[in-house]
Amino acid sequence: MNQTAKGEILTTDGIPLKVSLRRSERINKFRAFALVLPLTLFIIITFVIPIIAMLTRSIDDKQINTVFPKTFEIYKQWDRKELPPEEMYATIFGEIVSAEKRAIGKASTRMNYSRSGWKSLIKKSKRKFKKIKEGPYKEQMIALDKRWGKIEFWKALGEMVDPYTFGYFLNAVDLKYDSNKEIIRQPEKRRIYNYTWYKTVKISVLVTLFCLILGYPIAHLLATLPLKYSNLLMIFVLLPFWTSLLVRTVSWIIILMKKGVFNSILVWAGVIADENRMQLIYNETGTLIAMTQILLPFMVLPLYSVMKTIPPSYMRAALNLGAQPMHAFYKVYMPQTVPGISAGGLLVFVLAIGYFITPELVGGADGQLIGHWIAYHLKSTLNWGLCAALGTILLVVMLTLYWVYNKIVGIENIKLG
Amino acid sequence: MIKTIKVALLAVIGLAFTATAYADFTFVSWGGAYTMSQQKGYIDTWGPVKNGSTKVSVENYNGGLGEVKAQVESGNVTWDVVDILPVDAINGCDEGLLEELDFSSWEKAPNGDSFLESIPDNGTGVGGTISPCAAPQIWWTYVIIYDPKAFPEKKPKSMKDFFDVKKFPGKRGVHTWPQAVLEMALVADGVKPSKVNEVLQGEGGPDRAFAKLEDLKGHVVHWSAGAQPLELVSSGEVVMSIVYNGRAGAAILSEGASFDYVWEGQVLDGDWIAIPKGSKNKAEAIEFLKHATTCASQAEQAKYITYGPMRTCGLDVIKKGEPWFHNGIAVLPHMPNTKKKLKKSVLTDPVWWADHNAELKEQWAAWMAGNK
Repeated sequence: MNQTAKGEILTTDGIPLKVSLRRSERINKFRAFALVLPLTLFIIITFVIPIIAMLTRSIDDKQINTVFPKTFEIYKQWDRKELPPEEMYATIFGEIVSAEKRAIGKASTRMNYSRSGWKSLIKKSKRKFKKIKEGPYKEQMIALDKRWGKIEFWKALGEMVDPYTFGYFLNAVDLKYDSNKEIIRQPEKRRIYNYTWYKTVKISVLVTLFCLILGYPIAHLLATLPLKYSNLLMIFVLLPFWTSLLVRTVSWIIILMKKGVFNSILVWAGVIADENRMQLIYNETGTLIAMTQILLPFMVLPLYSVMKTIPPSYMRAALNLGAQPMHAFYKVYMPQTVPGISAGGLLVFVLAIGYFITPELVGGADGQLIGHWIAYHLKSTLNWGLCAALGTILLVVMLTLYWVYNKIVGIENIKLG
Repeated sequence: MIKTIKVALLAVIGLAFTATAYADFTFVSWGGAYTMSQQKGYIDTWGPVKNGSTKVSVENYNGGLGEVKAQVESGNVTWDVVDILPVDAINGCDEGLLEELDFSSWEKAPNGDSFLESIPDNGTGVGGTISPCAAPQIWWTYVIIYDPKAFPEKKPKSMKDFFDVKKFPGKRGVHTWPQAVLEMALVADGVKPSKVNEVLQGEGGPDRAFAKLEDLKGHVVHWSAGAQPLELVSSGEVVMSIVYNGRAGAAILSEGASFDYVWEGQVLDGDWIAIPKGSKNKAEAIEFLKHATTCASQAEQAKYITYGPMRTCGLDVIKKGEPWFHNGIAVLPHMPNTKKKLKKSVLTDPVWWADHNAELKEQWAAWMAGNK
């Protein structure tokens, strides 16, 4: 082995040992990285990029600003008390005429979010403006369609003059911009999102709670019964899990409806009178029952796998040392199941908060949770900005809960088995 | 062992490829009896399908432009023809998601009317197509049905009766979106069906409809899927319900269900077919649309579902051929757009709804939330 003057150890080919080692380490590190590379790429492409794209869509208002840049410049000077000056009419006229059809279509959809009617107005104008040969434009445009003479339409443009906007987020919590970009509440008859948020969280919390109350004893039974019984019981837990979601949802309708199985049995047994059949479906009750049943396995399975690892000798020891059964359960058994409760609770809650098919079918007027509105705007109004805002809020709610949970219980306490 | 699995896997993959190679034309619709009527009415009868040169693969979707928009924006258009609602036909054309069509060479009606003239009204008060991207399909309708057994004496006859919970006690089935309900409320409030759109679109129109809806407060069961209202009525959960007439027609004609209609104040809505922008089989798709919209194809479809042909010449073929339904029952009594029924009906205005959809949906949701 050679040594340099400074005392560094050299390998046979004269390179310092440190460097040589680092080199070979680097190759190993690279190999290890290459192994996880496909998964990393997969996660980046299917998860990180879409989420970033979604987050940007929720504040992005660039498209309309590329269609009406000049109009918006003039708009910023306008006092918003009387109809805009001729100059603004002339500019928007020019920009509508010269805009590419698809771009103006998109822009008119955007304008329609802030004031219903813009969409057809722009479309009609694009078609009919050919007839107007020269200015002054104001009167001619108003003559073409009287909506051009309504100040509310012009005022509605105020929220769009910047390339970035929080308008979608405001919309998602029943607020909006007025023409001066001051934040105001939506008119009362349109306030629906806050109520929906409240309803969604409430139902998710209740479903999680019910799943815990129902799932805990089942999981305990599964974990403590002899294998031949517990296997059978396990099949009962899993069987519905394997059945199609829609089938289970529709079965609940048949069981719970007014002339359905459950009500009829109660009438037959004389518990309730025939004319007092209970309304158990097409309302919140139905949503809670169906969702609890559908999500129950997601609570039972993590609980079961955690309980399975708790040696029965602990409880026996506690009882042997003189604890009352309840006390022993509370002090010895339950704390050990907390990781399972956490995992199950989080799973059920996350699934419940995004649910929309089941509530929609069994929930009647109460069945439209936040997932419904995201799907609706995604498909019907094509208001993907609002979708993104709703989705982002959902994500933030989840992350906040996760953070709170981590502070209180500690994330290392989650255990799926 | 592993080798056998590998071979089997490869075979499956190979099979999948050949399958996709044959399915070179994709038709997308709503599924169920409706798609079946399209399959039998004009897919199976299309020349290239009959002589085996083309295979049409049929896919289902839930409506809306979400999928079309995603395909067009990503540049990977896999759908060739899609069945869409008028609102989407308008929005999709505006946003450049659908191909524009030139109808000048399409089939004329036997009475000499041009292709577009054979559509007398598209819902906006004028004839022809609703958007340059959309070829006509059918009229379907939101209509009231009831079980005659629920009303042994007096039977409901009008929209007023649907909104009158004193005269006809019991719950009503209503869908969970505002379309058609607002129009019906105005009819019940005394507006002539032909004037409903004018009133609805005028100052305070929607508010007047919502005010009338207060009559139903506490008496509504909301449904969200098309099969539900039939179940609601036949199980006695509600005494009357708004339904899609095609669903009711199928239950009555094919399954012998005993429902009666209240046609007065029904709200018709159209269905159109279109080609997503950038379809790889555009020329073929246009030929297919031409075939699908002939008077004969329009009538043929009505053998399998009680939705009304949008071109009047289709109705004429049915009239001459009665009993027209495939099992030998007369179909015109179940068709929503015969002349007599049209007089007491409302045609939804898709242009207006495209403008006001989101706003009224939110208002309707707020109404539902307060309606318990």
